[in-house]
Amino acid sequence: MNLQFMLFILINGLSQGMVLFIIASGLSLVFGVLRVINFAHGSLYMIGAFMAFSLSSLFAGKTLFAFLMLMLLVPPGVAILGLGLEVSLFRRIYRKEHLLQLLLTYSLVLILDGLTRLIWGGQIRNVPRPEVLAGSLDLFGLYFPSYNLFLLIVGPLLAAGLWVLLYRSRAGNYIRAAVTYPEMLGALGVNVPRVMTWTFMLGCFLAGLGGVFMSALANIDLSIGMERIIECFAVVVIGGLGSVGGAMLGSLIIGVGVAFIQIYFSRMALVFPYVIMALVLIIRPWGLFGKPER
Amino acid sequence: MPSALQSYESTRKSWLIAGTVIAVLTLLPFVLNQLGRTGEYWLWVATEMVIMSLFSLSLNLILGFGGMVSFGHAAFFGVGAYTVALLMKKAGVGFLPAMVAAPLASALVAGIIGWFCVRRVGLYFSILTLAFGQLLFMITLQLYAFTGGDDGIHGIPRPELLTPLSYYLLCLALVAGSFWLMRLLTKSPFGLTIRMTRENPERAKFLGINVKRYQLINFIIAGGFAGLAGGLFAELNRFAQTEYLHWSKSAEPIFASLVGGMYSLIGPAIGSTVLIFLKIIIQQIHQGLVEIWAIILGVILLGMVLFAPEGIVGVYEKIRTQRRRPQ
Amino acid sequence: MKKMVIRLFGIAVVITALMGIVPAEQVLADEVIKIGWIADMGGIAASFYKSQKDGIEMFIEETNATGGFMGKKLELVIRDADLKADVGANLARELILNEKCEYLIGPTSSAVALAATKVAKEFKKIIFFHTSNTEKLTTTDFHPYMFQVVPNTGIEGRGIAYFLAQKPYKNYGYIGLDYAYGHDQHDAFKESLLKTNPNAKITVEVWPKTGESNYGSYIPTLMAQNPEVIYSSLWGGALSTFIKQAAPYGLFKKTTLSSLYDLDMLRAMGQEMPENLMGYTRCPFYAVDTPQMKAFVDKFSKKFNDWPADWAIMAYDGLLALKKAVDTAGSTDSEKVSKALDGLKWTSLRGERYIRAEDHMANVGIYVGVTAKDPKFKDFLVLKDVVEVPAEKVWMSVDEIKAQRAKNPQ
Repeated sequence: MNLQFMLFILINGLSQGMVLFIIASGLSLVFGVLRVINFAHGSLYMIGAFMAFSLSSLFAGKTLFAFLMLMLLVPPGVAILGLGLEVSLFRRIYRKEHLLQLLLTYSLVLILDGLTRLIWGGQIRNVPRPEVLAGSLDLFGLYFPSYNLFLLIVGPLLAAGLWVLLYRSRAGNYIRAAVTYPEMLGALGVNVPRVMTWTFMLGCFLAGLGGVFMSALANIDLSIGMERIIECFAVVVIGGLGSVGGAMLGSLIIGVGVAFIQIYFSRMALVFPYVIMALVLIIRPWGLFGKPER
Repeated sequence: MPSALQSYESTRKSWLIAGTVIAVLTLLPFVLNQLGRTGEYWLWVATEMVIMSLFSLSLNLILGFGGMVSFGHAAFFGVGAYTVALLMKKAGVGFLPAMVAAPLASALVAGIIGWFCVRRVGLYFSILTLAFGQLLFMITLQLYAFTGGDDGIHGIPRPELLTPLSYYLLCLALVAGSFWLMRLLTKSPFGLTIRMTRENPERAKFLGINVKRYQLINFIIAGGFAGLAGGLFAELNRFAQTEYLHWSKSAEPIFASLVGGMYSLIGPAIGSTVLIFLKIIIQQIHQGLVEIWAIILGVILLGMVLFAPEGIVGVYEKIRTQRRRPQ
Repeated sequence: MKKMVIRLFGIAVVITALMGIVPAEQVLADEVIKIGWIADMGGIAASFYKSQKDGIEMFIEETNATGGFMGKKLELVIRDADLKADVGANLARELILNEKCEYLIGPTSSAVALAATKVAKEFKKIIFFHTSNTEKLTTTDFHPYMFQVVPNTGIEGRGIAYFLAQKPYKNYGYIGLDYAYGHDQHDAFKESLLKTNPNAKITVEVWPKTGESNYGSYIPTLMAQNPEVIYSSLWGGALSTFIKQAAPYGLFKKTTLSSLYDLDMLRAMGQEMPENLMGYTRCPFYAVDTPQMKAFVDKFSKKFNDWPADWAIMAYDGLLALKKAVDTAGSTDSEKVSKALDGLKWTSLRGERYIRAEDHMANVGIYVGVTAKDPKFKDFLVLKDVVEVPAEKVWMSVDEIKAQRAKNPQ
């Protein structure tokens, strides 16, 4: 296996990691602020993907414009769904034990997945890539899909955007304060419940956006929610619950790690996220960027 | 949340209740046998309910009793099942030795996995159990030559002596015996210590108790019982399959404990039975409902989490104590 | 208030319980024959459910209009096994004992099928399969009450190998999902290929996990060996994802991909499906040129406003065979019907077929062709130049089956 080949695999792993990052960062943020592990995050991502499918059939042709529309319309849609969920359900369980929170979010998985099946049916769905991104570029003598390169660019842009949001805006300050010291934040007169709601919506927004990207990367069916949530768990465990930077690092490790394992130990690829999860939890449970004991 | 101490107390009245319940359950198969084919089916279901009750009870040792949420409990169930399957089908071992080997094998695996898991608390413990559970699932899936992969191992022999009726009674006896053992356990000094590690682990440590060791032993015992349940289940179905180890199987006793009441000893058994029963009934009532069973289950769980997290037993206790108090 | 709610809930539970325990019949059992279908409705099998249901329901409706089986009307009872074998076994039992079903229709998943077939054997009820096709069903796990109308994994693997071995290809690649189905097909394929064409070599094999959504590492690995043909055991969503991802890498410019191109998959890919890929399918409505098939497709498309997928056709076909067996036996009793299955000849939608006595495998082969656009079908590609690889060429011989059974007694 020569160097060109390796680079190829590396880029593929990175682009895969980027999509994972978009989805997992939402999960991480929600946990950081709301202290809830939202199992239903995978289902929300899946709903985003199906919404993208429905919308894409409205637009004729595989234009970039159509795809941008998906990116602009679907995530807010999922965020609104999230708003509904947060106000009616999540709010009630913030003070409850972890087990009840997990059970609530898992029951939501059952309900949301079932509703998805009712609404969209069981058929495999396909969202075509925009024409301009559907081809490939000649890289080191091999053809690399343009769409993956697109993800490689969009991912860091989004990460940068998130960073700006979290570190350079007032809202971001509130969110980070809510992660670290919510009581103080409340004492300072900030409407902490509102911050939590907005954070949850942001998490859903990211899940929906991940759904849009994924819908053009692979195909959509009813199992993709479950598939993704476990990978997300691995990412947030590695990176540290509540840390977006950690989610980035975790996603890249999983993305690149899986990409290489698939070549050399393809039968191990199945267990790789779990092995990493277990190792991190045994050695350093709060992850690379998380804080111990919370 | 009701005081954990209160919930585990017993009175002579509950011995009476227990006796009655056992008597009813023992007579049940003879009644069912009179009901023709339908009765035959329900006898099989009753056996399944008994076995799955054991599975749920075993989890609750860790969950309600020890305060640790484990998502990988199906791993031990599956190990027990595959032990029986491999020994009886491939190695020609008899029923009795296989049934003894099952809980031992799963206790061993629980020891290994538990050693790592108890080193972490709370959410980290839970995710770690999930990771190990899935690892075991995948290993079973991949050892195609040994375990048959996702096809599973079919055609486990059924010894002549075990008719559906006698198998039910055997399972009932084993499960009742296990329940009795668990009860002894929860009342023993060991049990009280475990409860303390749940209520106030810091204090336990200050008292010089090796919390990790107690939790590990509890974990192993729970794993052993789960393995017994798995073995019995494998023999009932006469096959073992990888789904037995999947985390969705781990979710079943968790739901059962929630619905039945995780703060009582009998709760999970009740919850497990109710859920199995509901699923069957709902599929029979109307064809359309079959397609939305998942949603129905989700709604029930949602309702319970929000309005009745203490489960059926908890609700029952509440009604009882409310009645006692003068209004 | 809360107490009242709890009391009402309790009463509701008790009523529901009573409704369930009291045996659910007193429908005059003489006049109705119940057929129990253990379906897989969710997850990766969800895409097949609707077509299977359509095929089955259409048969039942038509048959009931002409008097049913021996004058008794057919009634369908559906349960969801959710791809779980223990659930499937339980449901099979429930359908037979509680619902009093005389016949069972199998699931999508092979794991569930293996469990359900045992239950059918235990109670001596007929069961047949329309989608799950592990070869074990007709070899080691065979019993006289089952029959199979889907080309099994052996026929598929060996069938495509037989076909490809006649071409001048020497350099093969393989991709398959890492589970029983993938392994079964691969083993059958490899053995047959190397026997028929000793010059052929499988230079690269990759095994993605089930549910894989990223083939980005596998594609370059495959391409690195420059195979002329890649044989794939991928299907459904996995296959369509793989094709979607592989196309920009230029895989299809250099290699042809041989895989299961069933209608649901072709529809999912739509116009994105590459042309000139040499693959196979189990029952293409557009390529099987019999008057029965034409009539069937006509009726089906009018009734459901949809083309019949492979599963719909095979489910219908299986029921046709069942009807013939019932008529031949002169009775609806499973015991008698099972005897009639031995060597049963019936007019399948695929032509005149028979069911082999030793394993109750119908002589159904695979249909090999090349993907192409067809002006008749605007939304999806089809296979053209379709040729059937007959089952007799590639199924296990009776001796081989007997040897298999001896090695793995049940």
